[in-house]
Amino acid sequence: MSLSAFQRIGWQFSAVDSRLHRISAGWKMAGMLAMCSAAFIGKSFPNLLALLALNVIGYRLGRVKTVEMWKDMRFFMIQTVIVVALYVLRDGIYDGVLPGLRTSLQILLFFMPGALFLRVTPSSQLMRSLRRWLPERIAFFVFISFRFIPYFAREISDISMAQQLRGARIDKRSLANPRNWPGLFHCLMVPLMIRVMKTAEDAALSTEARGFGKTGPSHSSFPVAKECE
Amino acid sequence: MKPVLNMDCVSFTYPGSSVPALSDLSLSMDTCECVCISGSTGCGKTTLLMAVQGLLKDGDRHGSISIHPVLPGLNSGMVFQNAETQILCSTVEDEAAFWPENCGMSADDIRLAVSDALDAVGLAGLQNRNVEALSAGQKHRLTIASVLSMKPGLIFMDEPCGQLDAPGKRQLIEILNHLKQRGHSLLIADHELEPYRSIADRFVLMEKGRIQRISRKLPSEYEMSRVFEGISSDPSSRSFGPPAVEIRNLQVAGPEGDLLIDQLDLTVRRGEFVHIYGINGSGKSTFLRCVCGFVPPESGMIRIAGINRPKPWQLAGKAALLMQNPQRQLFEDTVFDEVSFALKIKGMRADQIRERVMETLEGCALSHLADRSPLTLSFGEQHRVALASVVVSEPEVLLLDEPFAGLDVNRRRQTIRQIETICRDRKTAVIMASHNPLYAGHGADQSLALEHGRFSPAVFNNQDMSLS
Repeated sequence: MSLSAFQRIGWQFSAVDSRLHRISAGWKMAGMLAMCSAAFIGKSFPNLLALLALNVIGYRLGRVKTVEMWKDMRFFMIQTVIVVALYVLRDGIYDGVLPGLRTSLQILLFFMPGALFLRVTPSSQLMRSLRRWLPERIAFFVFISFRFIPYFAREISDISMAQQLRGARIDKRSLANPRNWPGLFHCLMVPLMIRVMKTAEDAALSTEARGFGKTGPSHSSFPVAKECE
Repeated sequence: MKPVLNMDCVSFTYPGSSVPALSDLSLSMDTCECVCISGSTGCGKTTLLMAVQGLLKDGDRHGSISIHPVLPGLNSGMVFQNAETQILCSTVEDEAAFWPENCGMSADDIRLAVSDALDAVGLAGLQNRNVEALSAGQKHRLTIASVLSMKPGLIFMDEPCGQLDAPGKRQLIEILNHLKQRGHSLLIADHELEPYRSIADRFVLMEKGRIQRISRKLPSEYEMSRVFEGISSDPSSRSFGPPAVEIRNLQVAGPEGDLLIDQLDLTVRRGEFVHIYGINGSGKSTFLRCVCGFVPPESGMIRIAGINRPKPWQLAGKAALLMQNPQRQLFEDTVFDEVSFALKIKGMRADQIRERVMETLEGCALSHLADRSPLTLSFGEQHRVALASVVVSEPEVLLLDEPFAGLDVNRRRQTIRQIETICRDRKTAVIMASHNPLYAGHGADQSLALEHGRFSPAVFNNQDMSLS
């Protein structure tokens, strides 16, 4: 089950070699922040489309497969439908569609560089880079949060499935009715929080048992070049 | 010669508890020795491993533990139970390098240590693979490699076989044997002891934090062929109702578009118990998800509880799913509320709910825990609460996904008995997917093996419980 579920989830490191993979995480992070900011600075369609093209070129340079790019971005298609629908509801079809599309494109372009960054940055490189900017423990916390994204995505899917069969009204159809929204917290979020706490406890034990935080400044790491050998 | 590990009168009580988790425990181990510990859930196996690894922080401690390494690396390292939650890095190589990096080893030394560790567990060549793309068995081997990279003389392992299928267990035993030959000593805690028969030098049985028995031979009650002894259903004495699940020519695609399930047929009648055996990744979970409408099939007919090609919301109350980790299903304040949840959703009257819930709790031996919070219960009790919470609505079909995970031998036997009772008394059709073997006739009415997307009758080899 784990493999199939993983392959439905995007935002994961692609273990290939590419020019983008070889750039240091610090430069990639700076580039990512610039691209994210550009999504809100360049408000016109031509600018946003150019930015979209840049992101796609980034995916190509990172040798990320089209299917993986689709996995990273497909949830934004749903977001586009919702945003455009809300604009249309507020401003009507003629005045709502284009601004709605522009806003959803901006949201997509805000997240896309982050997804690309995770695709082309191995955890060791990310950790090294974070350590330069953040205290060791906080850097590790940020790093570990990325690692567990697919794990918790699987947990959410499994919990949701079991609870729906018990009668919990948390399927897409039922959630269209706001009266069922509290059930989402009750039946899904409570077990998820329990799983999060248990996972945090397990990960903390695993971290401690392997000497994290004991050696302080003498912490070492592979040379950057090793990822590309 | 000094023992590698020496524990003398070790006792430990968790903070806030009055009952000691370990009590006057003495044990010593020699170089290259493999000692396997077992006992019922909560007997103190994991606490013992954490105590010797120095991971118990608070609490009341007595006695002494000393470790005398014989290898040039660190004293000891611990492989935890759940591979998913102990893997911290995103690639195989990074994970294996995590500990050496934390110890400040030079890059060249790390490279050597990582290469040696991955070699030892058969993961050489997968250095750059994303850990999420590894199989369950590979993840377990990676957790061992991540400890081996510091060459600890003594390795502690908590339920390493728990999530593994028969081939995975065989592979693990080969690796452990290899480690013994390299000079490592192994202290392993597990519910199953049979897989370690060929490498274990001693078996230690624990009960309530104490050592109950030590033997050089596998204790007879842990022989796999005897685990389900005494549970023998005579199919001729069982009466089945009309079909509750009918599947014809089912095809389900995997994530890459390849067919994971191909032309599969199955009929399960009400009151029938079907066991589906398959190795990790054979498609058991996908099959169960497809049956209850969460994974759409490519083609074929599925009829469950009288509904063709059901959507999940159509099956609420008619089909139920019990997952391997009960914590995923528990969220209410008391056991009573947890079990009554499905009935409240159905809109039943309070007196009817009370009657039905109490009856179910009694059937699952949970009446005395009705007012307790489910989250404060032991793993075995939580498992029973989760089972009670799904069977209370008297579903026509009960789907069980790896229901033996984390359960000791006695609890497994009890679970099978409970499932048998549910089948017989409530005429529920049960489909249980597991990588653990179960003889047809020992509980199950049919035992099927899922291989290459199709079912065939499962016949198990008595020696290692692999498919014959």
